[in-house]
Amino acid sequence: MLPMRSLLPPLLFTLAYAGISLGVTNSYYQLILTLVPVWAVFGLSWNLLSGYTGLISFGHAAFFGIGAYATALGQIYFNISPWLLIPIAAMLGGIAGLLIGFPTFRLQGHYFALAMLAYPLAILYVFEWLGFQEVTLPIKRDAPIAYMQFADPHIYTLLGLALMLATIVLTQVIERSRFGMALLAIKQNEAAAEAAGINTLAWKLRAITLSGAIAAAIGGFYAQVLLVVTPASVFGMLVSAQALTVAMFGGVGTVWGPVIGSVILIPLAEILHAEAGARIPGIQGVIFGLAIVCVILLAPEGLFWKLRDLWRKRTASKTDVSDRPEAAATNVTTLKPASQQRTATGEVVLEVRSLSRSFGGLKAVQDVSFQLHKNEILGIIGPNGAGKTTLFNLLNGFLKPSQGEVLIDGRNMSGQRPHVICEAGIGRTFQVMRPFLRMSILDNVVVGAYVRARTEDQARQFAADAVARVGLSAVAHRVAGELSTKELRLMELARAVAGQPRILLLDETLAGLGHGEADEVVAVIQQLARDGMTIAIIEHTMQAMVRLVDRFLVLDHGAVITEGLPEVVTRDNRVIEAYLGKKWAGHAAN
Amino acid sequence: MTAKSKITISRRTLLAGAAGALIASRAWAQQPAEVKVGLLVPISGLYARPGTVMREGAEMAVDHINAQGGIKALAGAKLKLVVLDSGDTTEKAKNAAQRMVAQETDLVAASGAYLSSFTLAVTEVTERANLPVLTLSYSDLITDRGFKYVFQTAATAGSQARQALPQIIKLAETASGKRPKTVAILTDNTGASIASAKAMREGLLAENQLQLIVDETFTPPLADATSLVQKIRSAKPDLLFFLPTVISDAKLLLEKMNEFGLGQGKIPTISFGIAIAEPDMLQTVSPELLQGVLTCVASWGAKGHEALIAELKTRYKEPWMTQNAISTYGDMWVIKDALEKAGKADRVAVGEALRTMDAGPSKYYPLGEIKFDEKGRRVGAGMTIVQWQAGVPVTVFPPQLALAQPFWPKN
Repeated sequence: MLPMRSLLPPLLFTLAYAGISLGVTNSYYQLILTLVPVWAVFGLSWNLLSGYTGLISFGHAAFFGIGAYATALGQIYFNISPWLLIPIAAMLGGIAGLLIGFPTFRLQGHYFALAMLAYPLAILYVFEWLGFQEVTLPIKRDAPIAYMQFADPHIYTLLGLALMLATIVLTQVIERSRFGMALLAIKQNEAAAEAAGINTLAWKLRAITLSGAIAAAIGGFYAQVLLVVTPASVFGMLVSAQALTVAMFGGVGTVWGPVIGSVILIPLAEILHAEAGARIPGIQGVIFGLAIVCVILLAPEGLFWKLRDLWRKRTASKTDVSDRPEAAATNVTTLKPASQQRTATGEVVLEVRSLSRSFGGLKAVQDVSFQLHKNEILGIIGPNGAGKTTLFNLLNGFLKPSQGEVLIDGRNMSGQRPHVICEAGIGRTFQVMRPFLRMSILDNVVVGAYVRARTEDQARQFAADAVARVGLSAVAHRVAGELSTKELRLMELARAVAGQPRILLLDETLAGLGHGEADEVVAVIQQLARDGMTIAIIEHTMQAMVRLVDRFLVLDHGAVITEGLPEVVTRDNRVIEAYLGKKWAGHAAN
Repeated sequence: MTAKSKITISRRTLLAGAAGALIASRAWAQQPAEVKVGLLVPISGLYARPGTVMREGAEMAVDHINAQGGIKALAGAKLKLVVLDSGDTTEKAKNAAQRMVAQETDLVAASGAYLSSFTLAVTEVTERANLPVLTLSYSDLITDRGFKYVFQTAATAGSQARQALPQIIKLAETASGKRPKTVAILTDNTGASIASAKAMREGLLAENQLQLIVDETFTPPLADATSLVQKIRSAKPDLLFFLPTVISDAKLLLEKMNEFGLGQGKIPTISFGIAIAEPDMLQTVSPELLQGVLTCVASWGAKGHEALIAELKTRYKEPWMTQNAISTYGDMWVIKDALEKAGKADRVAVGEALRTMDAGPSKYYPLGEIKFDEKGRRVGAGMTIVQWQAGVPVTVFPPQLALAQPFWPKN
């Protein structure tokens, strides 16, 4: 549930806004005050999908327009009250979201944005073809209140505000829940999110459904304010752009962004239109455009983040002195010599049988078979391009094998989606780190915990445990953006551990670390193994690996060259040849 | 209405006498130095060009009225034009209307707002503020809502097509000696075009014994008109009704017709609306291609307006007087007449005067009278047929307004 602390600012803001609105008697200013929450809510609905998942939608007008037309046509043809029609519009918008999302989420990046652009434009022509070029809401002189037609314009503003408050609170609840975390994880790295056990398609569909519902509801309310609905005014490009403009101006991926954007831009556009436009017609568009360009250049992520960063810097420099020494003392269990306290049992937890994968003519992985025993640390080595990461991608479901099987606890899991494999108990880290820079370490790690946790509290608990296991408890509340590479590596490790996996796949976890730093991370991995984890690790740096692993699997050109104990493998001619070339193999033999 | 009587602090001193109760404004209205009239039209954005022409027409009318002694019933009070920009979206038009009623509290009437979708939104606001609005927008919807303060000076879209068709057939018959039998309709899918085409399809063509053999609807702007023109060439209709809204579409089709050997009257082309007769057409299409093309419009500079057309030409460099200029010019005179009748500078009284006035035959709108029916439609509102002749679209119908004889293209 939402703590009172975060409920208070939107409540205060809404009350203050309502107070100002009640003080304004000029009906024109009142109309502008009504339009601000309308566009803020529309921006928030956009933000819910695009701000949090990073999948930019250029087509939110589709939902807005569906809501507006549903509200208008429902009154004209069925004589239904807008009090009922707006919730119906929200339902229709949600359904539209689902229908649009399902095929469109196959696309990513620019392709997704472009495909989204097409929906409102296509629907616009459908409505023109249907003969709804101009639709006016019928005046209900006998029952104005039942039909949301108020003589007092303040009521529209208050209704808009109520919708805005509801949307803000909803967004905040989502932001803090598993839902919001999943969306953020998708934004950062969809593949990694999937690997952390997040069913990305399901969450994205939920996001677009909810987003569509909100956009349609506010579209319905907008029709009620504008009283006239035309395809261009609700499905047009400018409408979709409005959502992007207010959100990007104010700040993407935060509940306050669209609100700030709308509070500034909507009145600004109107003032310019009324004042500057009266002197030089058209100049308002030029000034407005320039203002947006300047702000985007100075604050690319939006005003909110810029201001927050400035404010943080200020407060940080004040508290810096007291904060630092404690933070430096990161307590990591000291490195003990490679211990054999663990007892690798004979039980096979992961078995790979003649696994192959080719990309066109390139056989990236060919006929690889090996077994991973419970509680052992398996090092997978090989020169660049040997197929190590491809092998991991096959194991955790990013890639489907062309041939062969992956058995987890005896069950064939090859070809399953990554989040399913994660649920089966396989966690992994990535060669390239993708932390959520603005979030604290703990929040970063929570994302990984949801795959096992049933409740929010349990997820927090798992995350805190994982952070403790990698030795980052002391800095758990620091923002990831302030961390060193080593701390980030440990944090990634914690994220994988938080999902309570039985098998960990570590992809170059030691890359980019200095000597001492690598030792610290090695110690953490050893501790994890002692606690019962089974680990497979890809690594280049032999030195650290020799001390860490129980067994090596050596790959070259996608195939297994050899497999065995470290001391045996490192002397193997084929291994030396693969790493250093034939010439050195001869040297080593001497 | 309370909304209009509430004002901002900054204006309080200025409008001290008028603010608050209606009685106060009545008392104040006894001897006004000037009477304010609104003009809410697009003067920025996509529709700035027609909006500007409307402003020119309004300015000329206000100057003429004031030069002739202003409003006599108000001791010679002068008219003052307040221009507001409706912008290029329905939302902007509505905002501008709200600004007009909230901040220009002493307007007695207004004219606007070009596109019928703008007019629809604008009149939702002005109706609630009891501000009379005259409009040349001709969507039937505008006066179908039971509003009391909107007055449509042009014939509605449905009515225009109904009036035009028999005239065009008569023209074809007298000029070519044979009655046209088959027609093609090429229309874009904008509101006004759809309304006219719909009226023709649903009865008008049959009433006039015309057979529809090609019926194509396109979305502006056209990228290529070849396939459309090919359909017309193979069907060989006696008449082509062509309803574009965008000038580039008009150009594209006319050029393609010419290329296929159908242009310059081989298949007589009749348009609806102003797009094909805008001065801007000449910037892209040669006068030869346009020669003989007919279009049916709500009004046009016509017989009796020669002096106005000349003045518009010298004062604003407009080559001819379109419906936008002449209609808005006429609106100001109607408002003046209503003020004379009302005898006070009060919007409610002006509205009442407009509803009950009977100022005889119309001088500036085609045919009919200066009198409005219970819906707010001008009684007997006619329409104008304009023909491109030697690089100028001139009024050729109705005969009493015609500046030139129509000719039927001979093949």
